[in-house]
Amino acid sequence: MEDIAEFIKKIEFEMDEIEPDTIKPETNFRELEQWSSMMGLIFIALIDTEYNVTLNGNDLINCVTVNDLYQVVKSKI
Amino acid sequence: MTPFHLNNKTILVTGASSGIGRQAAIGISAMGANVVITGRDKNRLNDTFLNLKGNNNIQLTSDFTIEEELISLVKKIPQLDGVFNCAGIVKPFPIKFISAQVLSEVFDVNFNAQVLLMSHLFRSKKINKNASIVFSSSIAATHPYKGGALYSSSKAALETYSKVIALEFSNVGIRSNCIASAMVKTPMYDTAEHQGTKERMDEHIKKYPLGVGLPSDVTNAVIYLLSDASRWMTGQTITLDGGFLLGDF
Repeated sequence: MEDIAEFIKKIEFEMDEIEPDTIKPETNFRELEQWSSMMGLIFIALIDTEYNVTLNGNDLINCVTVNDLYQVVKSKI
Repeated sequence: MTPFHLNNKTILVTGASSGIGRQAAIGISAMGANVVITGRDKNRLNDTFLNLKGNNNIQLTSDFTIEEELISLVKKIPQLDGVFNCAGIVKPFPIKFISAQVLSEVFDVNFNAQVLLMSHLFRSKKINKNASIVFSSSIAATHPYKGGALYSSSKAALETYSKVIALEFSNVGIRSNCIASAMVKTPMYDTAEHQGTKERMDEHIKKYPLGVGLPSDVTNAVIYLLSDASRWMTGQTITLDGGFLLGDF
């Protein structure tokens, strides 16, 4: 799997009105201004589309930081 | 003599290996009908089969999304007095990520296969006069939700399709109706809970004045639609939602 910087770039691309490089591996994504339940759905679909990995709501709930999310995806590839 | 029974009728139930389809098949057999059940999972379908009342029931494992399988299945199906189309899947996907693959994944099961099944059944004259067709819709057809573009659209398509059956076959007394249910406690409920989160599901269910539905609640309405008691009802959708759409609760 590509490195976390690429992963973050993809996430930032999906979030409207976010300054590039706002997100760091240690960022708590739920504390981002753009976060919503819709973003949760978008994250799941993005990961499904880009990495062919199916996450469920509980996978997402167990993640706090962007790095947590990256690690879960990586473990499922 | 009450018309609220299914004696002397043969009813096809699709998607009978689990959830609403399973319970409906059992309930329909208990009301006196001979039941033909289909589903993709052989073991689970057999489990439903063992729970059916009566000795003239048939089980046929098949994947309707493959047209050749569907055609050979239709040949094995006896003359029918009713069909309950209950196969369906749910897959939340935001609009901008919908691909041809996801689109067909949902529509093949929720719409295309049911349309093709009905065409082949009608074409091979397997549907008797005065038969009743029932489709399993959802309140999502008229009250969609974020991420539900495909599921909601497939159910809306089904509701409109059902009305056209009602029109085209009224001359032979064949009726077609839908049941639009809200959340019912089935394996699909567990999947939806898994796709979202348990907290969100619990929050949703709190808005149901009569609580979450049971497969038997849907079954009873299906039995009514399949029976001669609903002789004058066609092209309609019955909403079953425990009061959810009434408003603030």
